[in-house]
Amino acid sequence: MDKVIEVSGLKKAYGSVQAVNGLDFYTERGKLFAFLGPNGAGKSTTIDILCTLLRPDAGEVLLDGHRLGKADDAIRASIGVVFQDHVLDPLLTVEENIRVRGGLYPTLRGKLADAVKRAALAADVTDFLRRPYGKLSGGQKRRADIARALVHTPRVLFLDEPTTGLDPQTRRSVWESIRTLQRETGLTVFLTTHYMEEAAEADYVVVIDNGMIAARGTPTALKEEYASDQLRLTPSDPAGLMAALVEMGVATVRMTDVVAVKLGSTLEALPVLDRVRGFVSGFEVLNGTMDDAFIGITGREIRQ
Amino acid sequence: MRALIVRNLKVYFRDKASVFFSLLAVIIIFSLYLLFLGDAWASGLPNVAGVKPMMDSWIMAGLLAITSMTTVMGAFGTMVDDKVHKISKDFSASPAGRGKIVAGYEAASFLVGSLMSLVAFALAELYIVARGGAALALGPAAEVVGLILLSALCNTALVSFLISFFKSQNAFGTASSILGTLVGFLTGIYLPIGMLPAAVQTVIKLFPVSHAAVLIRQVMMAGPMEKVFAGAPAATAQAFEEEMGVVFRFGGQALPAYVSLLILMGTAVVFYGLATLRFSRKAR
Repeated sequence: MDKVIEVSGLKKAYGSVQAVNGLDFYTERGKLFAFLGPNGAGKSTTIDILCTLLRPDAGEVLLDGHRLGKADDAIRASIGVVFQDHVLDPLLTVEENIRVRGGLYPTLRGKLADAVKRAALAADVTDFLRRPYGKLSGGQKRRADIARALVHTPRVLFLDEPTTGLDPQTRRSVWESIRTLQRETGLTVFLTTHYMEEAAEADYVVVIDNGMIAARGTPTALKEEYASDQLRLTPSDPAGLMAALVEMGVATVRMTDVVAVKLGSTLEALPVLDRVRGFVSGFEVLNGTMDDAFIGITGREIRQ
Repeated sequence: MRALIVRNLKVYFRDKASVFFSLLAVIIIFSLYLLFLGDAWASGLPNVAGVKPMMDSWIMAGLLAITSMTTVMGAFGTMVDDKVHKISKDFSASPAGRGKIVAGYEAASFLVGSLMSLVAFALAELYIVARGGAALALGPAAEVVGLILLSALCNTALVSFLISFFKSQNAFGTASSILGTLVGFLTGIYLPIGMLPAAVQTVIKLFPVSHAAVLIRQVMMAGPMEKVFAGAPAATAQAFEEEMGVVFRFGGQALPAYVSLLILMGTAVVFYGLATLRFSRKAR
């Protein structure tokens, strides 16, 4: 396995607040890696450390073979970062912005124009290259940010909550671009998010809470382990239904107008349905979601 | 670093409001002079031909000194903005290096200060000529250009040091408007140095920017003063020079021009060093 990021024992405190408290994880090359956690869980701190912006209190980081703290410039040259804030200049056009930021990379000397074109194409910003960044919509800004992060063809692309604050449709399309980019170029993508549906589409998810890793695995594995499938029954005879369920000894949760039955697997719904057929007017069987998994892991719903 | 300099220049010049505000002190002083200060000073002088061009040269020399200061400060505002808007994070995550990033701001501010002062100088000459004065000869004009560059360098070092203490736009904005207002007094433009109490005079003489003003006055006023004071006793000319801050006196001795030059250069070197020290300490 080709590990492009390796982190061990990472710690960072701000005063008495332990923002990151002993993280160990690695990222495989060419994969989309999601860091999922509520606000204040330590996601941004971790990204800032990996991007050489913050010095950790303890721990080791190897990024594309370069050791953090020893070869920071080599790390900076091999990563692209899309920050949570918009960090391009509002009065400059998208093209000027990408060109200026590309000028910070010694390796691009002499081939900047090509690099700008390629990055613009990859992030799909060619339509508004000549417009001032400050006049763009949220989604266009995000794409421009991504184009800037790609200008020097980094090995790893970091994105800190890239879709936060975008409307659902734009969020979807920005997400698709990131996914396509990663699939087609083999770029390693490391992103933080607090959207479950995004984490659910990553190759690997690390759930972080209070600066520590609460769970990790592929989305499917996490769902299997932490989220249970459900059978939802709409009662026609509530009293009879409850009696039958109690008799069967299954765990139930009463909601306003439905009764939910926890299942080990969706197939377990069949015997239950056979037994309660007379007391219900309808049913649905639900697969566990990342939301359920998240609640299962952290014991609470995600704070948005 | 070239990319950063170009970027900082673009960011400064594209923001028309910030360019305007960095020239505000200059515009205010110039308007006050047009409205009444000019007449007030001229009326205090004997009615000799050539007084007007001489006073015009005097005010323009002072304006050039502060244009450099306020525009350098305006250009440095980008650095504070970048910190506030976290744009600096993007630079820090690139291989540019902290030293080059700071140098990029400094170089851009120096260029802005020089460029704006040179434009101001051209306009000043036009103004003086339009009001019946004589344009500077090539030699003195070249001297003024040299002084403009030196004072931009000195101001860049000063502001660079000053700015290392600011983290918010508000604080920096307030500081630059206070300084923009004070600089008119500190260089003896609102009120000629001779009209101020001794303690304030000392402060003015210690303020590096006023030495730029003194040197530029000496060059720009040499011609006009010769005309006005032709035939007058040397003591009269001397008293005028002292009153208007064309020459500074320390303990009865007139300060030679080269000392003012040394003060400007020394300030540039010392504050550049201090600023570099502060920025390298602040890294991370």
